[in-house]
Amino acid sequence: MANVRYFEDVKVGDEIPRLTKDPVTETQLVRYAGASGDFNPIHTVHRIGEEAGFGGVIAHGLLIMGFVGQAITQWIPNRHLKRFHVRFMGVTRPMDVITVTGKIIQKIAEENRIECEVEARDQKGTLKVKGSFEAELPSKGCSIDDC
Amino acid sequence: MEHGFKGKRLAEFSYPVERCKIREMSEAIGDPNVLYTDPEAARVEGYEDVIAPPTFGTCVGLWGGPGFPDLCRKLGVNPIQMLHAEHEYQYLGPIYPGDILHATIELADVYTKEGRSGRMKFYVVETTCMSQSGEKVLISRATLLERA
Repeated sequence: MANVRYFEDVKVGDEIPRLTKDPVTETQLVRYAGASGDFNPIHTVHRIGEEAGFGGVIAHGLLIMGFVGQAITQWIPNRHLKRFHVRFMGVTRPMDVITVTGKIIQKIAEENRIECEVEARDQKGTLKVKGSFEAELPSKGCSIDDC
Repeated sequence: MEHGFKGKRLAEFSYPVERCKIREMSEAIGDPNVLYTDPEAARVEGYEDVIAPPTFGTCVGLWGGPGFPDLCRKLGVNPIQMLHAEHEYQYLGPIYPGDILHATIELADVYTKEGRSGRMKFYVVETTCMSQSGEKVLISRATLLERA
């Protein structure tokens, strides 16, 4: 598999490759509303976003979680991801450029498990999402389906 | 809503996993991973078919279940007052197109915290998805904050 990482090859402090997304667009928010089924108009209708005090539409928090998920599964195969948690820290607006970073903060040898922290920030460095994930990585010498 | 409602079942439904929905979700995120769209590429990587992106569970509750405004009504809160504070997924098994997931939504927890702007009330809404063979494949946990 293209992006398999072995438990023995990673260490605490290793960073996951940084992912910088294209600017968030209003069309993307409309598409995400349809895809997810979250039709809260604060994400799609400018006037409602203004009335709510955001100055316009804001992105779905789960869209930004989706960006973080993209960064994680570029780094490890989806099947090795076991748990993924985020806290929504700030609103994202159209034209914001989100960058996802993360690093390994713990290795649990008995379970071949790693725990990583992740975050998403905009072009000004403002924190949007802070979270963590756990993955089970295979050991060298095992076939991928066994470990 | 009192703490006695903890564990209350809010909804139960079936959710058929569709190939085009997976593609729609991955394209909305702008994730070019071919495992979400190309069955052949997915098979090469050892999967049975295309797979779902990590946040696919979003549409299980919102498209298959009661939808957010209805859910809030069942909790007795105004949807406008609800903020999405945290979200968590636990991945227990693969999800493929053609699967019929059996989903249950429960109020897993209710708690309050004192914040700078007063008392904040949190609702943890948990969606558990079982595969057609009866195995738990996904747990999705949304923590919602009711603004005062």
